[in-house]
Amino acid sequence: MATPAAWAAACERFRTSLSLSQVESQKDPENDPYKSKYRARELLQEVKALLGPAADEDEDEEAGGGPGAEEGPAAERAGPGAGAEPSTRAVRLAAVELQLGLNHLDTEELAAGEEHLQNCLRLVRRSRLEPAAVSLHLQAQNNLGILWSERDEIETAQTYLESAEALYNQYMKEIGNPPLDPNEHFLPEEEKLTEQERSRRFEKAYTHTLYYLAQVYQHLEMIEKAAQYCHTTLKRQLEYSGYHPVEWAINAATLSQYYINKQCFMESRHCLSAASVIFSQAEQTPSTEDTETEQDQQDLRQRKAEIARCWIKYCLNLLQNAQASLEDNIGELDLDKQAELKAQRKREEDEKENGRKKVVLFGTSDVCDAILAMEEKVACVPPLDFREAREVFLVGQNYVFEAKEYFQVDGYITDHIEIVQDHSSLFKVLAFFEEDYERRCKMHKRRIDMLEPLTVDLNPQYYLLINRQLQFELAHTYYEMMDLKVAIANRLEELDSHTIKKINSLAQSAIKYYELFLDSLKDPNKVFPEQLGEDVLRPALVAKFHIARLYGKLITSDGRKELDNMQASLEYYTFLVDYCERYPEAVRAVDTELELSKEMAGLLPAKMERLRAKLSPFT
Amino acid sequence: MAPGVKDSLRAVTPSQSNQVSNEGDVIKVFIRVRPPTEGPMLNDGEHSGLCLSVLTSNTLRLHSKPEPKIFTFDHVADMDTTQESIFSSVAKSIVESCMNGYNGTIFAYGQTGSGKTFTMMGPSESDNFTHNLRGVIPRSFEYLFFLIDREKEKAGSGKTFLCKCSFIEIYNEQIFDLLDSASSGLLLREHIKKGVCVVGAVEQVVTSAAEAYQVLSGGWRNRRVAATSMNRESSRSHAVFTITIESMEKNNDVVNIRSSQLNLVDLAGSERQKDTHTEGLRLKEAGNINRSLSCLGQVITALVDVGNGKQRHVCYRDSKLTFLLRDSLGGNAKTAIIANVHPGSKCFGETLSTLNFAQRAKLIKNKAVVNEDTQGNVS
Repeated sequence: MATPAAWAAACERFRTSLSLSQVESQKDPENDPYKSKYRARELLQEVKALLGPAADEDEDEEAGGGPGAEEGPAAERAGPGAGAEPSTRAVRLAAVELQLGLNHLDTEELAAGEEHLQNCLRLVRRSRLEPAAVSLHLQAQNNLGILWSERDEIETAQTYLESAEALYNQYMKEIGNPPLDPNEHFLPEEEKLTEQERSRRFEKAYTHTLYYLAQVYQHLEMIEKAAQYCHTTLKRQLEYSGYHPVEWAINAATLSQYYINKQCFMESRHCLSAASVIFSQAEQTPSTEDTETEQDQQDLRQRKAEIARCWIKYCLNLLQNAQASLEDNIGELDLDKQAELKAQRKREEDEKENGRKKVVLFGTSDVCDAILAMEEKVACVPPLDFREAREVFLVGQNYVFEAKEYFQVDGYITDHIEIVQDHSSLFKVLAFFEEDYERRCKMHKRRIDMLEPLTVDLNPQYYLLINRQLQFELAHTYYEMMDLKVAIANRLEELDSHTIKKINSLAQSAIKYYELFLDSLKDPNKVFPEQLGEDVLRPALVAKFHIARLYGKLITSDGRKELDNMQASLEYYTFLVDYCERYPEAVRAVDTELELSKEMAGLLPAKMERLRAKLSPFT
Repeated sequence: MAPGVKDSLRAVTPSQSNQVSNEGDVIKVFIRVRPPTEGPMLNDGEHSGLCLSVLTSNTLRLHSKPEPKIFTFDHVADMDTTQESIFSSVAKSIVESCMNGYNGTIFAYGQTGSGKTFTMMGPSESDNFTHNLRGVIPRSFEYLFFLIDREKEKAGSGKTFLCKCSFIEIYNEQIFDLLDSASSGLLLREHIKKGVCVVGAVEQVVTSAAEAYQVLSGGWRNRRVAATSMNRESSRSHAVFTITIESMEKNNDVVNIRSSQLNLVDLAGSERQKDTHTEGLRLKEAGNINRSLSCLGQVITALVDVGNGKQRHVCYRDSKLTFLLRDSLGGNAKTAIIANVHPGSKCFGETLSTLNFAQRAKLIKNKAVVNEDTQGNVS
């Protein structure tokens, strides 16, 4: 550095260039979007000229090496206290190179950007564990990571970012005091940052490293690792107060859904509780601007409903998971399994979970306590009996009401119906735990009552999928209710006419909805497809099969009618058998159903013959 | 569960796409290679200036290094293909199925300058659509009204038709009505009878192709104005032209109403997609690390997508475009994508990404999945 005047000029240009590229560039005209960036770049070049060339000793290492180059002897020399105190000029040049690199990346000149970033790395390579240089090195590596990902070379990006991660860890372990910010080298003494601010900026840069790594791992399909890095990013955002509450809450709630897929209910619950707690912070902070309040309120309400929907899924999955572990081969509660799981739970208590918990915990003191309090409201181990199941059910149901407040039928058809479907599923799995058949039947009736009205007005041309789902679910629910009524009736001495009527009407309703579903598969000219698409193959064949069985279950004392029902039944069974003969690849989808259909198609004609013979003398 | 395109993608195996009966359900993908602009490109000799060559009517070779890549699509139109033949191979059957009550959608996808607007509209300088270079949209009007007239003739006074057009633009996740330049910030809502609709969008009744042209050119002019005024750029906006076709047939006392929609979409330049998060068709570009932390949510969403079959809720709503065209991407509709590419070697990167996108789009199965309980008790 020649003179103090030259240094002052350099400082001023550097700072102007920063403000040009960070503030002014926002206002650049659309037809000249990089105007300020180009001016900033010129200034940086001037600063570089003012600083003069780097000293020779900094150039002696291999040039242009990737992150791998650091494993050479140079890297070993660079331990703490290895006399690697960087020359002031080298650090300043590195800071300029970093800015130039960023500038070229911003203006889509990747190759030039890469060169500047490499220059930056080279200048501080040996001193990268020094407080003056570590941040420069870290940020240059972050940006090289971005650069290579833009070139679709994710693996290269990964090496840079992992190396940045390692640098942070090594620095924090061996040095630890808050390092200088890359732009601080050009600030006058009195404007130097506080230790706290330095630390905040350094931690933020490292949070970015983790965040980029999360994306890299996702692109490389290392899903578990990606999730872990997302989790850590969220955690650090919270610790360093670098977050927008609503956005953070939504991210955490979404992450909870990942954990649901993995059946990690403890982690899922923690994410959801944190989402709710942080979200309530946003609700409490009144909006400063009056102008946008309504839109903001609307948005907040929607976000709240979204988080509620994540909670619903949590409760539902927890219950369904419990059902899966408790049911026997015909889908009923297996008492032996129940006893076994209860004993097992006693043995384990929360031992395992406590260990895991430390790793994933969000927040510090206050927030953490609030989150833990939130967690206590619902279990994270699958319920084992009706009482436990009901508790989870009730929590889920409350969130159903909350979500429906925003997602009303008018304007949010799909969302609204999805929520009602979840509500119905909650009842369905709760019914599994209910031992009393009459009460179980009533639960299914509740499902019918909530689903049936939805199908009335829905235009199937726009809501085909949802319409089919509703029809199928209604059909199946009626079918289940009929089965329950039959089971109840079997315990009776003899069938009274009321029960018979009930069973028949449930069966007729089930048939009606299965037929509606099958009708929805027809083309606009009302023709049933010759070959079923793969996505509807099983549902369609199951519908046919169930209709066949339903005709078999209808109770009538009229022989003619009985014969008609058997005839209908036979036709549906035959459809299944014929279809699978024509398209053998369908067999796989309806293995069991096909076997039974074949059997019935074989038996029915003989049975019908006998009935006909019995009837004929009277005609 | 939403008809996740990703899920459907996974469910399709290559063998199935060849089955005749399923053909109608798969999104058809066409590639159109535009001729390079006059000038330097042509002087470069046969191959050096071009990054791809058309091999057959459904394959093309991309001159990538070290190994060239071969892509197969439903149809590959080379540089000499006329507007008329694009219309016949892509749009004709979609317009026909609209007459039969299906919804139909035609997208144009590709980087800026690859010929999307030329394909959909025609050359920009002329407003009358009578000349030979007019694009898919004007030709669809003509064919539609030709079919309507023929139907009417066949059915006599018993059958009437009502066609309404709307024309909107999606820019920066905001919806603008191109038929009413005074409007701004329209809302998307779901109507129990009408499906997804833009609240307050102007609907103009048209009775002939000529009237439809007028609506189109009026709206298109609005779009172009928008493109030059403050901070708007046409390649960043999607334009969606929708015709609703309603037919009413009286048979004695029974009235039979049938209605369908034809959406004609000029997508924003694909090279901009990653910025605006629109990512038109929900397929994430294999891609880029974004600089701001705000896309963490997208990463997480992608993680959740993987868990297929499980009940979950993802908080991030569809982009406006995917929401509006929900039916076209996994619902009850016939859909075609025309991927436009520029053959110049300078466009290699964008062309590759367009072809990759188109390849994935080919796998989208355009039909709803029924959430079937697999454990139906057989007892």
